[in-house]
Amino acid sequence: MKNAFPISLILQIPKHPDEILSFTKSALAEIMKCKELDIDHQRRIKMILVELVTNSIKHSLNTDSQIKLIIDHPSLTIQKLEKGLQIEFTSSEQQIPFEEIDKTIKISFSKENKHHIQTLDKYKFKFLNPFAEGLDIEHMPEHFGLYIITLASDSFIYQYDPESKENRFTVNINT
Amino acid sequence: MNISKRLISGTDVDMITIEEKEANLSQSEHFKKLILQDIRQGSRKIIISFSNVEYVDSSFLGALVAILKELLPHNGKLVLIGLNDDIVNLFQLTRLDKIFILKNDLDAAIKEF
Repeated sequence: MKNAFPISLILQIPKHPDEILSFTKSALAEIMKCKELDIDHQRRIKMILVELVTNSIKHSLNTDSQIKLIIDHPSLTIQKLEKGLQIEFTSSEQQIPFEEIDKTIKISFSKENKHHIQTLDKYKFKFLNPFAEGLDIEHMPEHFGLYIITLASDSFIYQYDPESKENRFTVNINT
Repeated sequence: MNISKRLISGTDVDMITIEEKEANLSQSEHFKKLILQDIRQGSRKIIISFSNVEYVDSSFLGALVAILKELLPHNGKLVLIGLNDDIVNLFQLTRLDKIFILKNDLDAAIKEF
């Protein structure tokens, strides 16, 4: 029987790092009940899930963070939904809400965690390829989570809803 | 973090084996401290085995980068062995395979020193 796409699944994010591996395996198993994936896509999905969940455990005090899977054809969307304050950059010419839209800017979350982003609207931006400027060991970051999600996905977008105070990280993978 | 350490006989190479299935956020800081301490006490040639590790996360990659940054100014060398296909893929994705020396096994790793 053919699946009727899209299929949506909501998963509660675990609270402890030692639960990440089992969470990731069961999330991937749920996706693969709905659609076949080659080994490359399976690996990319596992990396993205590990890093979204790790990011939540590291940074969020909220206990109700969720992963929403939207399984469609030919794409898979993984969203992490978290209530709380919006992302703030430690260094940037702009902060959310952005004044200039469709502009590429350099931001950082810490000395070793720098990114290029493209502003999409006042409360929304897209992470860009982190290797545009090249990397060497001297300038190599020690925080790879957002890089990994950006590199493993076809698009990685952050959005903040000021009314509901919800942070939404949306990852798309062409499957 | 549960690791085992030994000096490879007939060499001055330290072999560190990670005795955990998950090299993640809950292990990375402790692991980094242990190895940085070894480097500050004179360790310069280090092999780390991932043969027991099923997955590595970004926090642990960061710890490995910090270790390499500490080692290189002392003309030290770090070789990683026993990485499964998922972990090798992660190194390739992040281009860390261009920075770290990755080898299949101990024999190949020793030849690097």
